[in-house]
Amino acid sequence: MRSEVREALIAKLTALADDEVILAHRGSEWTGHGPILEEDIALANIVQDELGHATLWYGLRQQLDGSDPDQLAFFRDAYGYRCCELVELPKGDWAFTMLRQYLYDLYEALWLEAAQHSTYKPLAEAVQKIMREERFHLQHTQAWVERLGQGTDESNRRLQQALDMQWGYAQQLFVPIPGEELLVAEGIVPDLLPLRERWLEHSTRHLQNAGLKLPINPGYQPTSRAYHTEHLWSILAEMQSTARWDAEAKVW
Amino acid sequence: MDTQWPRWEVFKQDSPNKPHQAVGSVHAADPEHALLTARNIFARRPQAVSMWVVRAEDIYSWTQEEVAEGQMTKGESYQAQVGQYLVFRKTSHKRSMTFVDYVGEVEAATPEEALKKAQATFTDALALAWWIVPADRVYKSDPSPETIQSWFAPAKDKTYKQQQYYATVGSHISKHKVGRGVEDEE
Repeated sequence: MRSEVREALIAKLTALADDEVILAHRGSEWTGHGPILEEDIALANIVQDELGHATLWYGLRQQLDGSDPDQLAFFRDAYGYRCCELVELPKGDWAFTMLRQYLYDLYEALWLEAAQHSTYKPLAEAVQKIMREERFHLQHTQAWVERLGQGTDESNRRLQQALDMQWGYAQQLFVPIPGEELLVAEGIVPDLLPLRERWLEHSTRHLQNAGLKLPINPGYQPTSRAYHTEHLWSILAEMQSTARWDAEAKVW
Repeated sequence: MDTQWPRWEVFKQDSPNKPHQAVGSVHAADPEHALLTARNIFARRPQAVSMWVVRAEDIYSWTQEEVAEGQMTKGESYQAQVGQYLVFRKTSHKRSMTFVDYVGEVEAATPEEALKKAQATFTDALALAWWIVPADRVYKSDPSPETIQSWFAPAKDKTYKQQQYYATVGSHISKHKVGRGVEDEE
């Protein structure tokens, strides 16, 4: 692999993993606070799966540059993170959390489907593992969007509010990272442009069927993953505190 | 106002040759939601190939004692409904993780008639309890290979933290005990 392709792949794997880690941590904030025990457990399951996906992506990066996944997750500061801003936003209410998880799950499911035939074999193998779990996540969050959207005036209002806030942020999922075109040219990762079309088609249909209105003005649309919201600093402070407390610890 | 979602009993099938077994319950707003939460709660790690859910109020149950005392009718909520009934039966006190097992179907005009037919049909073991469920009240997980892959296959790759030794991570029981089934998990 040429060195610029390798560098781009390392950066892409980092972005994929960082999205999963931060989204998972946001989801974990519901543990013990879910609207009902069953959903508390269900969301904990989903976010554990997302963490597992992050482990796979960091693992692929490790094969390329020898970096330690735990070091990346727990000892890197916000400037080093390459997550998108959508996953950084505070968890909000249940509607906010379910909508974000839905928009993300749909993106991830479509990305994985397209990445199945990656020319980079380790990536194609990881995709096979992740894809089956992601299909279930999507069913779950899709069901919630439908029910909140068609539920009561209050649940619809909250979901609409979440959509108005998140729609612009979600578009960042389809902004290529610097050098991504090299990976696309080599068939290592899918082109985000056609994926975005499919995502828009699916999400628009589902959101409208759920009784929601797509924002006419998408609002703020982040682009570079080198920039973050202020929320990333506080979430990392909490997420990394235990690991940084005793960096030598082998088990907690 | 009662803000509780209805309770659904969950039946899990561990492998294609085993019966669906009552494993517990979930609260959920509708059948699809009940299946989704049931999958999360009862099949994230344990082995499974299929799940059914039934609203608790759609289950007609009799204990061995009730049958012995001839308490065949169960009050007004038990409505006549001609059709197929699913029959579940408990035959052992040994199991702590499951209650009744699915044994088969009977055709009847009422749940009481279904029970009588069940008693006459499934005679191979003493019933400690019977559950009778109208067939149209049973909601089943999608049997397609795609759903089985997505809902149930990932469980086999998951690791466990052992309760007694929290730092110890183990793998799925099926990795250790090849060819043996649910009794091992209990």
